[in-house]
Amino acid sequence: MSQPDSDRSSDSSRRILSALADGVATDSEAARAFQAWRDDPDARASWHTYQLIGDVLRSDDLACEPAADEAFLVALRARLADEPVVLAPQARADAGPVALPAAVNASAGAARSRWQGPLTMAAGFLVMLGGLSVVGPFKHGSDPQLASTAASGPVLASTAPGSSAGVVATSVQTPAQSKAAADQLAPYLAAHRQSTMSGPFQMSGSDIRNASLVQPAQ
Amino acid sequence: MTMLNPDPDAALVERVKQGDVRAFEMLVVKYQRRIERLIGRMVRDVDLVADIAQETFIRAYRALPQFRAESAFYTWLYRIAVNTAKKALVDMKRDPVMTHTALQGADDDDETYRGGMEPTDGETPEALLASKEIAATVNAAIAALSEDLRQAITLREIEGLSYEEISDVMNCPIGTVRSRIFRAREAIAERLRPLLDTREGNRW
Repeated sequence: MSQPDSDRSSDSSRRILSALADGVATDSEAARAFQAWRDDPDARASWHTYQLIGDVLRSDDLACEPAADEAFLVALRARLADEPVVLAPQARADAGPVALPAAVNASAGAARSRWQGPLTMAAGFLVMLGGLSVVGPFKHGSDPQLASTAASGPVLASTAPGSSAGVVATSVQTPAQSKAAADQLAPYLAAHRQSTMSGPFQMSGSDIRNASLVQPAQ
Repeated sequence: MTMLNPDPDAALVERVKQGDVRAFEMLVVKYQRRIERLIGRMVRDVDLVADIAQETFIRAYRALPQFRAESAFYTWLYRIAVNTAKKALVDMKRDPVMTHTALQGADDDDETYRGGMEPTDGETPEALLASKEIAATVNAAIAALSEDLRQAITLREIEGLSYEEISDVMNCPIGTVRSRIFRAREAIAERLRPLLDTREGNRW
């Protein structure tokens, strides 16, 4: 008797998840595994089960109810949804509507509404970063997160090494324009500082960098 | 510093760096239990363990763009967990409502450290029973595996060998190693599913 298509697909997904768990999945397999994690509850359950099996094999005291693990993830998801969008290396300020990360595009319903606030802020930030980068008022030192290139436009959260070069001035902007840009950027920076420095546990300097803005002299 | 084996989490980490927050969830599911146990051995107030573990993952998420893969992801995450727990303990020292038991073992980085006493156990008797049942089921399932499958999953999960190393030990192709490990996981998972699927179709 032949196996139903859905069973074959599920079996294939689990094989890939098993390989990904050990770091041996190919790029295309990994892409399928990420898709399965987003779309398929069975794949999510299998991933959790495989990880739980590994933990219990290493130590019995790592066994725990899945409900506890799920509750932990649900709580963390809520916190991640409130995090500023800082991981968008391909976003460009001159690309019209801001290209959202794949995961954001894939999410829907309530998840989408949770992202809208931070994304709106991030989109505004990208646009303003584009405006500011041609003047060069940023003083970001070696922070690669705020690095930008004249050729490709500003890039948020770039992870490329060696991207610490300062911003090159390519045109002239009036002080009034710079002031307006800085004023519009201020709420984002304030929110960023608050999210990274407030709460029960402050971030240590080695864990995260804080965005800062030096306003141009008037 | 070079690693003997490639970081098994490299693909997941890279995906998160590209902006896929859902890939980060996979890392959370993978390491949450180990991180909570580590924190539980440093901070004895069980009510704080989950909070500090959550903070650990949030810190890791924020700092991931700076992760350069000079160590394995888990090593890096482990350091963040230790630093976050220490920070929480320092904060509690300044807090008048801090508990004495919560501060014991604060200066030890060792994941296996127990400080002469067991961590506070906030689990309900039912949860404790369920955990023991899960552990017993996994161990029974391992014992019931064929020798080939048991050896493959044991070398991978307990000994931490790479597929290439397992291939050498078991004298078989890497593709066979991959298949055996998957079949072993599936055989164990088959026995576990009745215990884990407490809400049918609604898990995760």
